[in-house]
Amino acid sequence: MTGPLRVWSIPWLLLFLRHEVLALPSRVIALLFVLFLLFFPLFSQDPYLLRVLTLSALFALYAASWDLLSGYTGQVSLGHAFFFGISGYASALLGRELGLAPWATIPLGAALATLAGLLVGLPSLRVKGPYLSLVTLAFPILALGIIFLFPNFTGGELGLSGLPRLGQNRLEEYYLVTLTMLVSVYILWRIANSRLGLIFHALREDEAAVRMVGVNTVAYKLLAFAVSAFFAGLAGGLYAHYLRVAGPDSLSLFTSIQPVIWTVFGGIATIYGPVAGAFLLVPLLELLRVAEEWRMVGFAILILLVMRFLPQGVVRGVLDRLEEECPRCKVRNPFTRRRCRVCGVEMRLEVRA
Amino acid sequence: MRRTWAKASLLALLALGGSAFAQVIRVGVVGPMAFVQGEHTWYGATLAAEEINREGGVVVGGRPFRIELVRVDTNEITSVTDAATAVERAITAQRVDFLIGGFRSEAVLAMSEVAADYKKPFIITGAALDGILAGRVDRNYERFKYLFRVSPNKSSDLARTSLLLLGEVVQAVRQQLNLSRPKVAILAERAAWADPLVETASRLIAAPPPQGYGAEVVGVWRPSATATDVTPELTAIQRAQAQVIYTVLSGPVGVPFGRDWGRLKIPAAPVGINVEAQQETWLQATDGLGVYVATLNTLAPGVAITPKTLPFISNFQSRFKRFPIYTASGAYVALHILKEAILRAGSLEADAVVKALEATDYVGPSGRIVFDKVHDVTWGPGYTTGLGVQWVGSRMQAFWPRAWRVGDRVVGYAGVRPYQLPPWVVEAWRR
Repeated sequence: MTGPLRVWSIPWLLLFLRHEVLALPSRVIALLFVLFLLFFPLFSQDPYLLRVLTLSALFALYAASWDLLSGYTGQVSLGHAFFFGISGYASALLGRELGLAPWATIPLGAALATLAGLLVGLPSLRVKGPYLSLVTLAFPILALGIIFLFPNFTGGELGLSGLPRLGQNRLEEYYLVTLTMLVSVYILWRIANSRLGLIFHALREDEAAVRMVGVNTVAYKLLAFAVSAFFAGLAGGLYAHYLRVAGPDSLSLFTSIQPVIWTVFGGIATIYGPVAGAFLLVPLLELLRVAEEWRMVGFAILILLVMRFLPQGVVRGVLDRLEEECPRCKVRNPFTRRRCRVCGVEMRLEVRA
Repeated sequence: MRRTWAKASLLALLALGGSAFAQVIRVGVVGPMAFVQGEHTWYGATLAAEEINREGGVVVGGRPFRIELVRVDTNEITSVTDAATAVERAITAQRVDFLIGGFRSEAVLAMSEVAADYKKPFIITGAALDGILAGRVDRNYERFKYLFRVSPNKSSDLARTSLLLLGEVVQAVRQQLNLSRPKVAILAERAAWADPLVETASRLIAAPPPQGYGAEVVGVWRPSATATDVTPELTAIQRAQAQVIYTVLSGPVGVPFGRDWGRLKIPAAPVGINVEAQQETWLQATDGLGVYVATLNTLAPGVAITPKTLPFISNFQSRFKRFPIYTASGAYVALHILKEAILRAGSLEADAVVKALEATDYVGPSGRIVFDKVHDVTWGPGYTTGLGVQWVGSRMQAFWPRAWRVGDRVVGYAGVRPYQLPPWVVEAWRR
């Protein structure tokens, strides 16, 4: 090859694909997953299947936002529905009072959720661990109380209905939600793997040490809350307009606990773990509809089994069997290789008698 | 290999041919099937479907159609998302043409949005809030005209009934205890839906007759809907010297209320709304201490609201070994109304059926069903009223409407007995 390749040129892309993507099972799976989401409607436009995938995508984004805050930064939020729910309510109210379209109200709702994130983040400066979790748990309950106090404005226990649709049909809604999810999760993933993510990670492991080296932990913790709340709010706004109801259910304890289940199932502190968790568990729960009475029992047993045999979550559990780390340069290799794809050292030392 | 292919294609052909000539009307019965409300929705619909099919099904265009019910477990009490998805699945994958059921108001909102997307008629049988229909069917008729409600009466009408029951008991206290100005305590669970009721009741109780009851409100107590002990409230009510307790309880707090009230023999007669006391398990749940508790209800043993009431109850009891709750009679009547509408429309096409449904005038087990302009069931004398029931001895007994005067007519159903004050209330206050 003569001369360096121009980045983002087609030959560069092909080389990148061959050496960086196809070389590792995890990246192949991620690529296939994205392609599957993008091209699924070519094979089936069954509204029910599209609905299940759309909801999976919504919840994947919601769970990934929880992962950034609780998995990476270690600020375990048990009241994440607060951001999810109030963004939906804000979007519904803005649409009703000001007559704005969803493309305007959903980002505004997410912006409000961001502010709410800062608000919830404030106590995190003083309380830690389980105490912080309890504080976060209080916020959605508080929001529900306020909603029930002003039933004429908020719709009370019935919620607000008749929200405008995201798109003309299920297909449009599917692409809107899926693309938003893919882009957002990519951003979250980049954050988690940037210098910022490193600080978040360090905050979780040893906050005092981080402060010792001169990092403004207050600002970073608030930032983690704000970013996480923004994406949870984005998911919440989309969800409200997808169901066309913004109701108290979106603030319920169950809604708060769900992202925890998906994330822990998929793999905590990975960003892609919660996505996998949501895309496995939401459709699975639908499949289990055939066995009505056993649906929840089967679901619980499966989670128990996965936690027993893949304690790090499905994604890490599977990838650790498909890939291994080079003992010298720490680059990941597929389990089929005998020598590292970068430094060429032997992956497994043979012990001879 | 070829043989299997031939077999498979033959089977596929048969299946196709089968579905083209099977002539079924598929009705989705939606509800939380793990809960008594959903279960009874299914039972009520099953009973009606069996009756209709036994009588030859529904004849449309000279061809008989069999009613086939599709059980749709919505899990709506836990998850609204699940409920909406279940309805979409029922419509697109299980190909239902009509929907009946629904219990939790918020979930019914989400489900009805999906039903409206597909223009599928949806008859609600279990959710009470007014806003499910009012403000939707009237403001956006083209989209929500597919939505109807047969039971229960909307919450504002339920409130009206409960206040009428209160009036009945206040009257009994006034006459039997010779008290000119009875004292009423209000015990309402701390929930948004109870607020307007508390306000209206306070006003109505204190207002002079004939508009009000000319009684005195001694206080308002608001326990949690899930409280397990209401002794503090009850002793306070006793100290306030009330003779009547107006209850507004839908949650599990109804049971501890009945138990504590009976155990302490509080000298005040409870009446109003107590959803726990509507169920046949009430006396077991309260260890037999809930006798004399009164609440509004839809059906009661031995009360013939219409000629269809008693046959419905006995058929239901012999088939399912339970006493039907309101979702059962609602689903039962919904299916019959749907059948009549299809017959009148002479078609299965949704818009024609909706037009025919609007013209419904059907006498069912719980009263006469006529839809108002927002497709809600009409409340009032000559339509659907509900009942006032009281636990006497070991059974539920109706006490209202017995001689209910509305204008120049008197409303009463066969089998309704006079209200009985608890003996310890009479003993405590008799002069």
